[in-house]
Amino acid sequence: MASIGEIVDQTPSAEILSRARQRAILVPDCMVEARRIANTVISGWHGRRKRGIGENFWQFRPYADGESLARIDWRRSARDDHTYIRDKEWEAAHTVWLWADMSPSMMYKSTYAAVSKESRALVLMLALAEVLARSGERIGCPGIMEPVSARNAAERLATALVHAPPSTGLPQTEMIRGASDIVLIGDFLDDADRIMQRVAPLARRGLRGHVIEVADPAEEIFPYSGRTEFTDPETGEKLTSGRAESVREIYRNAYLARRENLGQSLRRLGWSFIVHRTDHLASEALGAVHGYLSGNPPRIIPNTSTGVGA
Amino acid sequence: MSGFAFASPAILFALIALPAIWWLLRLTPPRPRSEVFPPLRILATVLKREETPAQSPWWLTLLRILLATAVILAIADPVINPRNNPLASGGPLVMIVDNSWASAEDWERRVQTADLMIGDAADAEIPVSLTFTAEATHDAVPTSAIVARERLAAARPKPLVPDRLRAARAVTEALNGTQPGTLAYLSDGIAAPTDGDMLTALAGLSPRDMQLIEGDGQKSLALTGATNNAAAMSVAATRLKTETAQNFSVNALDQQGRSLATGTLDFAAGANTATATINAPFELRNDFARLSVDGIATAGATHLLDDGFKRRRIALLSGDSGNDFQPLLLPLYYISRALEPYADLIQPRGGDLAASLREILTSNPSAIVMADVGRLPEESYAPLRQWLNRGGTLIRFAGPRLAAAPADDPLVPVRLRQGERALGGAMSWADPQPLAAFPNFGPFAGMAAPTDITVRRQVLAEPTPDLNERTWASLADGTPLVTTREVEAGRIVLFHVSADATWSNLPISGNFVEMLRRLVQLSRAGGAAEPQAGNAGAPALPPYRLLTADGILSTEVGSARPLAAKVGVKPIASLDNPPGLYGSEEGFTAVNLLAPNTTLAPFDASAASFPIVRQGLAGGEAWSLRPALFAAAFFMLLLDTLIVLFMNGGFARLPRAGRAAAILAVMVGAFAFAPTGDLHAQTPSQEPAPGAQAQAQPPAAPQPGQPAPPAASQQTPDPNAPIEHAKPGDESILERLDTTHLAYVITGEGDVDRISEQGLDGLSQFMTYRTTLEPGAPVGVDITKDELSFYPIIYWPVSATAPMPSAAAISRIDAYMRSGGTVLFDTRDQFSSLDGSGGTSPNGERLQQILANIDIPPLEPTPNDHVLARSFYLLNNFPGRYNGSPLWVEARQDARNQGTALSSSGDGVTPILITGNDFAGAWAVDAQGNSVLPTVPPDDMQREHAFRSGVNIMMYMLTGNYKADQVHVPALLERLGQ
Repeated sequence: MASIGEIVDQTPSAEILSRARQRAILVPDCMVEARRIANTVISGWHGRRKRGIGENFWQFRPYADGESLARIDWRRSARDDHTYIRDKEWEAAHTVWLWADMSPSMMYKSTYAAVSKESRALVLMLALAEVLARSGERIGCPGIMEPVSARNAAERLATALVHAPPSTGLPQTEMIRGASDIVLIGDFLDDADRIMQRVAPLARRGLRGHVIEVADPAEEIFPYSGRTEFTDPETGEKLTSGRAESVREIYRNAYLARRENLGQSLRRLGWSFIVHRTDHLASEALGAVHGYLSGNPPRIIPNTSTGVGA
Repeated sequence: MSGFAFASPAILFALIALPAIWWLLRLTPPRPRSEVFPPLRILATVLKREETPAQSPWWLTLLRILLATAVILAIADPVINPRNNPLASGGPLVMIVDNSWASAEDWERRVQTADLMIGDAADAEIPVSLTFTAEATHDAVPTSAIVARERLAAARPKPLVPDRLRAARAVTEALNGTQPGTLAYLSDGIAAPTDGDMLTALAGLSPRDMQLIEGDGQKSLALTGATNNAAAMSVAATRLKTETAQNFSVNALDQQGRSLATGTLDFAAGANTATATINAPFELRNDFARLSVDGIATAGATHLLDDGFKRRRIALLSGDSGNDFQPLLLPLYYISRALEPYADLIQPRGGDLAASLREILTSNPSAIVMADVGRLPEESYAPLRQWLNRGGTLIRFAGPRLAAAPADDPLVPVRLRQGERALGGAMSWADPQPLAAFPNFGPFAGMAAPTDITVRRQVLAEPTPDLNERTWASLADGTPLVTTREVEAGRIVLFHVSADATWSNLPISGNFVEMLRRLVQLSRAGGAAEPQAGNAGAPALPPYRLLTADGILSTEVGSARPLAAKVGVKPIASLDNPPGLYGSEEGFTAVNLLAPNTTLAPFDASAASFPIVRQGLAGGEAWSLRPALFAAAFFMLLLDTLIVLFMNGGFARLPRAGRAAAILAVMVGAFAFAPTGDLHAQTPSQEPAPGAQAQAQPPAAPQPGQPAPPAASQQTPDPNAPIEHAKPGDESILERLDTTHLAYVITGEGDVDRISEQGLDGLSQFMTYRTTLEPGAPVGVDITKDELSFYPIIYWPVSATAPMPSAAAISRIDAYMRSGGTVLFDTRDQFSSLDGSGGTSPNGERLQQILANIDIPPLEPTPNDHVLARSFYLLNNFPGRYNGSPLWVEARQDARNQGTALSSSGDGVTPILITGNDFAGAWAVDAQGNSVLPTVPPDDMQREHAFRSGVNIMMYMLTGNYKADQVHVPALLERLGQ
């Protein structure tokens, strides 16, 4: 019987060369797709003459409930009885760090999804690079590429990725300097505490982070039944369940609890957390993360299990 | 006698290999499905117990070991019941086998036992003499074992009681002095009267060894009788073995073999008889055709019911057909409502009494109910009498007509006083009478005394010495209410009240239903016996359906002879008349195996003067366990396959419902093999399938009670016939129906008929001028052939000199009056007896002759408050050419009781009007509109009144008692007062 999940592109560390070639084959495909998605996102923008992340004053607007108190402009608010927030104009020269997890667990693809998690993560990263490069942002990849401000930043990022050594775990952060944004794309299946140990220092250094969790539907809905032996793609550990359908509910609860835990921890840092499933369109996650980047958090919150957590 | 042996025991050494198989099986676990799963760490936290079975579960291994064991044992071929029984040599083996009804249940085992003995005889090369006790002919000459085997295989149990003595004599004769070796008697275990003689006869053979072989007799049970009680049917049964208490259920089956009701036979320990009660509504019990004990397929456990239990066919006849718009006033309404549930009713179509009776008697009913029929046509008495003599039951109800009928009516049970007796009227001291308790004889005995019935009116019987014993029910003052008389085989029953609710409230009480039901039960179900049957005494009934030994009815009649039925004697089954149904589909007599009140007693061999070895039957054949074992192994294999598939998640991909269905399908498929495997291993079952029973039954025999549609009534043209069947006379019929016509009887005398036509013409003109009724031209009718039903009234000028109408014509007039028409007889003789002699005029005599054969109600002169007197004009008298003769109308029943009542009797219009005033003569006008005849005395006012009388009569004919309606009373009183 065909198994539900498979490792689409298992690359042992000994075969760097062949892996690089495979990745090179993959990247142009991603580029094309990234352009297409970027176009759809751009069509929703109204130029850069609008509020966003930047240094210059753009407008005062009344404070709305739920916004951070830190954003209140007390000087302006003291003039009359209303409370105001000072909006800044979108500033182009902003550095956005993009990073995607390339660990073996990302190579997983189930029959419920069309692409593997890694493929979707790369697509998201390159699409973001394309979108941001058109807006004139500086784009970098921690440990792989220094920030560049170029029209072809996405191509350059792809090229850098091809030549990058395989990495596991969270990115090296020594390249990151100053206040900038960082977008982390991965499956974040590790313990939430371990992830937070790595992320918290970044936040303390003033980085604004956006985390996109890419999940395969099979991981979430656990469609297994009968006598099943499960294998961890990273450690090779094996686990056999006599009747897999009997643990489905408990597993799902644990899985969602981990996600919720991680999301809450990140939000406490002021970071955004976006959940994306590979059976959904990549542009959903792209639009969401773009909204966070441009200071317009998505108002409409789709189904929490499928879409974006605010 | 049970034993156990292996045909090839060497194979059993293979069992040594079982531990090795065990070890091998333990080592092969089912393979799990392998899945890559990145969030394994999360899964690991919830999946606590790590399941790594290196071995199969123990029960699966056990199943497989059992499978292997079953296969090994099957190959070793175990056999149960190897047999060993010595036969005495030195003479032929004499076997006497009871193939009676009681042997049917375990016949296969009996054959097996006999076959084994014959086999032993064949081995010892001893000749075999084989005799069956329930056969007609015995062939006891010793033959070879092969011939004996063939005869044994051909023998079948018979639904009869064995005749052992005859068999024993046949054996003695056939052996002709040869001393038998072993004498084996396979008995059915039931004692018969001739057992002692048989044992003596057998002892005379002086066998070397005598074996008595008996079954356990647990199923020797017989139904001995069934009685239909008021509320239930009770079934008597007897059994052979009385040690323990036993329960059997008795099913009542209908003709198609469907079970209708069930009762329980409770045999107490030690009792050999029991009675079951089958509670079922009477209607259902009518359909019982057969009783059989559940689970016992013998002729004894089946009891056939003949048409003593069948629905009766009952004909209803009424003196007054009334109309269908007021069904509650119809005399037959309550009777038919009461009888419908348990009787087939025949209601003749026409109103002609003579024709109706002919039609009724052709269908040979069990009973005829006559409601208020006073006088029957003369020619009807003889056939009715004949029918009664042959066993018919005539139930009559009184009424105004019967009360007015002459006292010499031969068809009433007691001599009646003419006229009726009213109770509780204004001029009577008597109150309406309740019913007395029913006497303790007769059909109503045992019914609770009704308290809610009051009788206001009745006909009285002349007191006679035997009146008391002929009375089945009486009023509280002792006057009879129901009387009866036996007429040869038949019976006449008279209710002294009417069948509708006018005379008493008996017809609307529940007791009425029960009384009628009991009366109907008295009647013979098959109707009166056929005439030739009565003469010949004992008709021979051919066998119709016979009972097989398995208790199934079959059409195979074999050598059965016709049954010579004697009236009143229950036939007993014999060799020539085996149990079954004799007769035809129309009616049959049931012959049952055992006489009523028979009890079964065990066969007593102690009277024998020589030692007897008793044994039981062979405990079934020596049968091989091999097929059973293979079947078991196959099942375990299937089960194992399913388990392995299930454990490997083979069903996981199926949708949930589909999964269950698939498992079910596999299970069903598996079990479909099971019975075949078992059947080979066991004695072939002899249980009759229900389908087989139904097939053996007569295919949907129609109820004998269905009356054939009377052919005679089809001949008369039906005025309501659809247009498409147009016939030559249809235009005139339609014309008659479109317009109301006055009609007169063509007497055959030219001047009378001319006056009639002119008179009715004059009346028609008068009515056209004065009323909204515009009649068509008067019609002269020939009462012998014309259809009369178109005319509301027929004017009949009675003329002594005219030819006397035929009986058939008078019968048609009678039918016309019965169906609502009115005849206005005009004797025109008011002043013909002016001499003062007071004698009857010739016309009056002719009228009496005409009416002699007609059932006419009691008459009275038109009272002043009669509707006739105010239906259009207010009239005091009804003059024609003459004045003074009263206009006679049907007497109103309640007029004398209800002095102030203005309403006319009943709802009907009087069927008869008699006058002597010569209406037509007064009405007659010629073509110019001048009166033809003068009135006597010549008085224009009298002519005017004659016309008014005619108008009133016509209005009364057409509107009935409309004017009698109480709402008009105040206005009428006011006008009368002026």
